[in-house]
Amino acid sequence: MTESTTLAASVHRNGLLSRLSAWFSQERVFRWIPFVMVEGMFILILIIPFALTIYISFLRWRANRPFEQAYLSGLRNYESVIADSGFWDSLGRTFYFAGAAVVFELIIGFFLALMVHQITRGRRFYITILLIPMMVVPVVAGYNFSMIYLDSGPLNQILAPGLNLFDINPRIRWLSNPIAAQWAIILADIWQWTSLTFLIFLSGFSALPPQLINAARVMGASRRQTFFWVELPLLKPAIVIAVVIRSMEALKMFDPVVLLTFGGPGTSTQTVAYYLWEQVWQFNKYSFGAAASIMLLIIFSVLIFFGIYLIGRQGKAIERGEA
Amino acid sequence: MAQIGLKEVVKKFGDFVAVNGVSLDVHDGEFLILVGPSGCGKTTTLNMISGLESPTSGEIIIGNRVVNDIEPGERGLGMVFQDLALFPHMTVFENIAFGLRVKKTLEPDIDRQVRAAAEAMHILPLLGKRPAQCSGGESQRVALARTIVNDPSVFLMDEPLSSLDAKLRVDMRTELKALHERLNATFVYVTHDQAEAMTMADRIVVMNGGLVEQIGGPLDIYDKPASRFVAGFFGTPTMNFLQGEIVAANGALTFQCEHIEHFLAENTPDSLAGKQVILGVRSEHVVVNSGGQQGQVKLIEPLGDVSLVFFESGGQEQLVAKVAPELRFSSGDQLTFGFQAAKCHLFDFDSGTRLN
Repeated sequence: MTESTTLAASVHRNGLLSRLSAWFSQERVFRWIPFVMVEGMFILILIIPFALTIYISFLRWRANRPFEQAYLSGLRNYESVIADSGFWDSLGRTFYFAGAAVVFELIIGFFLALMVHQITRGRRFYITILLIPMMVVPVVAGYNFSMIYLDSGPLNQILAPGLNLFDINPRIRWLSNPIAAQWAIILADIWQWTSLTFLIFLSGFSALPPQLINAARVMGASRRQTFFWVELPLLKPAIVIAVVIRSMEALKMFDPVVLLTFGGPGTSTQTVAYYLWEQVWQFNKYSFGAAASIMLLIIFSVLIFFGIYLIGRQGKAIERGEA
Repeated sequence: MAQIGLKEVVKKFGDFVAVNGVSLDVHDGEFLILVGPSGCGKTTTLNMISGLESPTSGEIIIGNRVVNDIEPGERGLGMVFQDLALFPHMTVFENIAFGLRVKKTLEPDIDRQVRAAAEAMHILPLLGKRPAQCSGGESQRVALARTIVNDPSVFLMDEPLSSLDAKLRVDMRTELKALHERLNATFVYVTHDQAEAMTMADRIVVMNGGLVEQIGGPLDIYDKPASRFVAGFFGTPTMNFLQGEIVAANGALTFQCEHIEHFLAENTPDSLAGKQVILGVRSEHVVVNSGGQQGQVKLIEPLGDVSLVFFESGGQEQLVAKVAPELRFSSGDQLTFGFQAAKCHLFDFDSGTRLN
């Protein structure tokens, strides 16, 4: 008798399973599965936190009190962000860091690409070497730089002979002098991300049609004329793309600050990303941080849309053959 | 003075030999065409004349000086490239003016010369446009105007018509030839299209595998191909080739293969008797409805002015005859055929060189 019950149960279970799998394998059901999974992920990790951030930005709440005591307080958080000089100072500093870093990354990356493009022998080797910094995990890069910048570290050792000539104390305190610390962070960013601009420019150089350069040569153009009249104008799209991509990334600069200076000395190396992190995770000012990040989102969005507009305009110009 | 000389020019890319000892002379004011299949070294040869490639060994002489180590821009050449190589970021005017700006010509002179060149090529209304806004034929004219404005004594052209459609290509051939007459300059032109070579050239250089196969006037090459390769390369449809043996019988030489026997012309040297050869005969020299050979029609291609009849003769390779369109055949018909003895070409079976 027991045998027949288990048999019946298994038939029942199998029936249910097969009915379920039959239901799933209908096309009208099945075609929703990938969609639901992707969209579900999207809602879970983007939409919900984003909605919560907006909600929290209108609350009066600090994480050292229970959430039940939080209450809506209108735009008060936004008012205090606008009134907060720390926010604006760090935002200004971010633009300063990003601007300086991106300018150097573009110039150095451009010249490296120009040189590597002309190498025929061992080109792969140089490309590999020059791309390594980009592949290094930012935390590792930051940690390495924290050692390079030690008072008795390798950077000062290398600089010492030169500095002695000018009677400058060779123990430059890279991370505790405000200006030196700012440039220490910019330098770390340049080291890591010049690889990317190099890569963009190298692909730009490789995409230059050789016939155009030959045509210029046959017409007697010098190397300089060919570069400024033919190659550089044709590289404009690559330049715009490099500027936009690097600027977007550099405005979010965070890792080198945490790893090298913790925003110090004082607040001299606080970027806006670091400032937000500190307000929220160190001072528990959740609702203030939420409001500040929403404002930052608006400011950066405007910049990014402008960047996308520039890339798009460049793309259309290429289609029209104007480049 | 714009004669060009190549002396035993060799170009190697690593282990690959692109040009293997080419010697030729281009006369002043000549329209010389380098022709051959892809990879035969014709473009490499042209690039060595222009200076874009430097020869591995040998000498290149323009005028009276050896130019091996002279920059392309200082050789006094104009070049039209296969894909035209117009600068996409410049207007047509700026494209044409490029060479003049390089030479630091004064602005009013640039304007005058560019307009003159544009007028000569009938592209005045295009001056403000970008190359991408021009049609294929217009771009072609812009590329030519950009070259003639610099007034070079030698024009190098690397398959400049390959991007045009068939009709326009035929029109441009006539125009290029007229341009050559007008400018009285030396033209060196590269193409893989034998019809282009035949119609435009004063002399043709046929290249194959990095070597020159034959140099000569268009009709010389057509009538007396120096090798089996040249014979097969020129003319449409391709020349008929039959493989067989030369037999001496009753004081006359005959060509014999499996099912075909053909009496050779009287001037055929007797020393060829007993040799394995390839007999080549053009489709227009195959006589149909007379002669002693039997064949069966497989396919007819009526072209209007003539018809091409493809037929088989007892399992041999397919043969083709060019016949008057009034002769109506249909597939499966039996026909008789023969070859015009004086128009048969004999090639060595192994080396492919001409024997008669």
